Amino acid sequence: MLALDLLANGLIYGCFYALMAVGLAMIFGVLKIVNFAHGEFFMIGAYTYVLVSLKLGVSPWIALPGAALAGALLGWLVERLLMRPLYAGYASWGFMKDEYAVVVTFGLSLLLINLVDKTVGPYSFRGEPLIDVSRFALGPVMLTGQKAIAAVVAVLLMVVLALFIKRSVWGKQIQAVAQNRLGASLAGIDATRTTSLIFVISGMLAALSGALLAPLVNPSPDIGAFPAVKSYVIVVLGGMGSMWGAMLAALILGVSEAFFSVYVSYDYRDAFGLIILVLVLLLRPQGLFGEKGRTV
Amino acid sequence: MSLLTIEGLLRRFGGVAAVDDVSFELREGEILGLIGPNGSGKTTVLNMLSGFLPPHAGKVLMRGEDITGLPPDRLAQRGVLRMFQMTRVFARMSAFDNLLAAGMARGLSEAESGKRAQALVEELTLEPVQYLDAGQLSGGQRKLLEFGMCFIEPPLVAMLDEPFAAVHPVMREVMAQFIRSRHAQGFTFLLVSHDMPIIVDLCQRAVCMNAGRVIAAGDIHSVLKNHDVIEAYLGESQQGEGEPPSLEVHR
Amino acid sequence: MKPTANLWQHRLRFDMRAALVICGLIALVPLFVTGPYALGIILVSVYFAILALAWNLLAGYTGQFSLAPAAFAMIGGYTTALLDFYWKVPLALGIPAAVVVAALFGLFLGKLVLNLSGPYLSLTTLAFAEIARVVIGNSHEFTRGDQGMHVATLMQSRVGYYYVFLAALVAVLVFLYWLLKGRLGRFMMAVRDDPVGAESRGIDVVRTKMIAFCVSCAICGLAGSLYGTFSQLVSPELGLLQQTGLVLSMVVIGGTSSLSGAILGAILVYLGSEWLRGFGDIQIIVFALLVILFARYVPGGLWGLIAARLQGRKP
Repeated sequence: MLALDLLANGLIYGCFYALMAVGLAMIFGVLKIVNFAHGEFFMIGAYTYVLVSLKLGVSPWIALPGAALAGALLGWLVERLLMRPLYAGYASWGFMKDEYAVVVTFGLSLLLINLVDKTVGPYSFRGEPLIDVSRFALGPVMLTGQKAIAAVVAVLLMVVLALFIKRSVWGKQIQAVAQNRLGASLAGIDATRTTSLIFVISGMLAALSGALLAPLVNPSPDIGAFPAVKSYVIVVLGGMGSMWGAMLAALILGVSEAFFSVYVSYDYRDAFGLIILVLVLLLRPQGLFGEKGRTV
Repeated sequence: MSLLTIEGLLRRFGGVAAVDDVSFELREGEILGLIGPNGSGKTTVLNMLSGFLPPHAGKVLMRGEDITGLPPDRLAQRGVLRMFQMTRVFARMSAFDNLLAAGMARGLSEAESGKRAQALVEELTLEPVQYLDAGQLSGGQRKLLEFGMCFIEPPLVAMLDEPFAAVHPVMREVMAQFIRSRHAQGFTFLLVSHDMPIIVDLCQRAVCMNAGRVIAAGDIHSVLKNHDVIEAYLGESQQGEGEPPSLEVHR
Repeated sequence: MKPTANLWQHRLRFDMRAALVICGLIALVPLFVTGPYALGIILVSVYFAILALAWNLLAGYTGQFSLAPAAFAMIGGYTTALLDFYWKVPLALGIPAAVVVAALFGLFLGKLVLNLSGPYLSLTTLAFAEIARVVIGNSHEFTRGDQGMHVATLMQSRVGYYYVFLAALVAVLVFLYWLLKGRLGRFMMAVRDDPVGAESRGIDVVRTKMIAFCVSCAICGLAGSLYGTFSQLVSPELGLLQQTGLVLSMVVIGGTSSLSGAILGAILVYLGSEWLRGFGDIQIIVFALLVILFARYVPGGLWGLIAARLQGRKP
């Protein structure tokens, strides 16, 4: 049945989107900035996965953490080198905080895309799938092994993340800093280190998302662009800064995109997310789950 | 003579009335203190009077004209100006240009603004820093600059929101002096503050709020001796202890 | 050091004089450079200079960080192209029409993002730009999609076109100077620095923003239209995010909030990128890096450094 198939595929893609978007939501929750280079973490993850598993000949299950590591490292570097000025108290700026973040992350995005383009270039090989099962039927729905397993991994990762945030000490620190940076640091939490952790997690998750999808598409330097745009849509839909909102919004987007592409227009399916973005920002800027705020 | 008449202001947040049926009067040429403990709704009232928050009910009349719900820029054009608790200057323009911008925003020509700005710079002792970017000024200098921006074109009402918060005593006195001098020229002020000595010093009348409502209004001394007002601040009854305490602090 | 050098009217005047000098130098170039390829490169850099000025007005002076300048160039170009293709509208009308249409879309976008700021604003303008590009690129029957459309041309002479672009640059420059030296210039900067404070002092923030959007987008439309007639082709590539990224880089490196900075940045970045092409196509990498470095360490851009030196004040 087509609708069920669309629903299943939509949910699966939704899981990938969620993995990708949740890190972005965290960054916004803490720093109130949008990371315009987020798509490139995805791309780096995909490339690392493919290169590691093909060039080093290791099992894809080892290449996966390799991609995670690359993403984590990149996230750490970005925070350390580029984001510190935003809250390390640098005074006489030519920019305000928002402008700086836009310009710097935009520049970073261009840099990474073209750096990869010149060094590695588009890859004609897809990564090794995690499972060597091509197609199977799950009830009335047709799936590929890679998609299924990737979805499971994605869900597991998000469960782990949720537990981490809710239960661990670091997770609680993240929550504290997200709510009130000054208050948290007064309470003894190292806000800078927490922010670093958030970037590391964000980079790692986006990279993993890229790695999980690598077996499905040929990696090219700009594959991060579409997932990034979808992440922006999701983060806004879910309420900028709300992780749970982002996860739910991701699933909603995945499913509605699947139905839209079949029932309305395949060509404009990418514009669909953008139109949603514009509508949400206009009508309900706090997203589905965010909180309204105008401070004077 | 009544300059501002506030009638029955109401503002809800969620299900709670942060400002509930607030009415008072601001008379021409006076300095009126708006006091009350934290969370009593003073800032919300100020936000409504300055156009940043539309009231859910009630009216604000200026010399009889209904100005309820007008946006901040239109209110400013009519002479209703507001200063914020957090100093707001245009950081990337020179201090002098800040004054020019404020003057031109109120309808003055650049030349006229320039003349008045020069006079204000002298009065506020900002000469040494007038050409620096406003963001480079010290906190106290910025506060003074704000005063200048407010008065470059005489306002009908100047509403000051906790202007003395986190300001050191010397600067506090300079600001108070500025307010006194302008008041002597006939200007009207609405002053929201926690600083009781200053309130007593500057204000002739006061309105006290608690939990969103007006609990006392009138001459400053009698308001501060008012039983309800004291209770609101201290949170407990002081009855039966001889001389009723007063919130006035004698310097 | 002249203390009044930091006064807005002095800064602007100095800036404008420098910008006119740069334009004068550009005017003299064809006396020394005659190769059509080289001329073409400088011509395109002037195209970018116009875009940079337009974006700088919106973002550098008014603080609205739009990510849509390239999209508006595309909209302008396609307006002229479509009018020419379907109704044989002569360029004398087609180019002004591009300006008007871009201005209208600019007003629309401005209205859209009126209550937004920071990342919300940037994201919405990004979405707008991408939607415009995808719609144009996918409307095969109407706009021939990715293939692009043919456009009539003003003249065959490349040198002639060179001066057409230069004339447009000077015209835009003079217009912006007139706009900025009056009340509007200060109001825009007030909106940039503190919209709430600006509003509380009597500045009509809505009107100021709308004017900034309208003018900025109109100028982008003009540039795009002219470019279309020059290359005799418009395609959705005009509106690629990469192009916006280039414009951003130019202004960041050249110096935000200055006219000369925008022009300088555009010319240096574009010439530099062409020069770097000889070294193996690494130009975007270099400039992306420069953008990051400049944003991080030299917020005033090149112009900030130069002007400070020349005026004897701190950058």
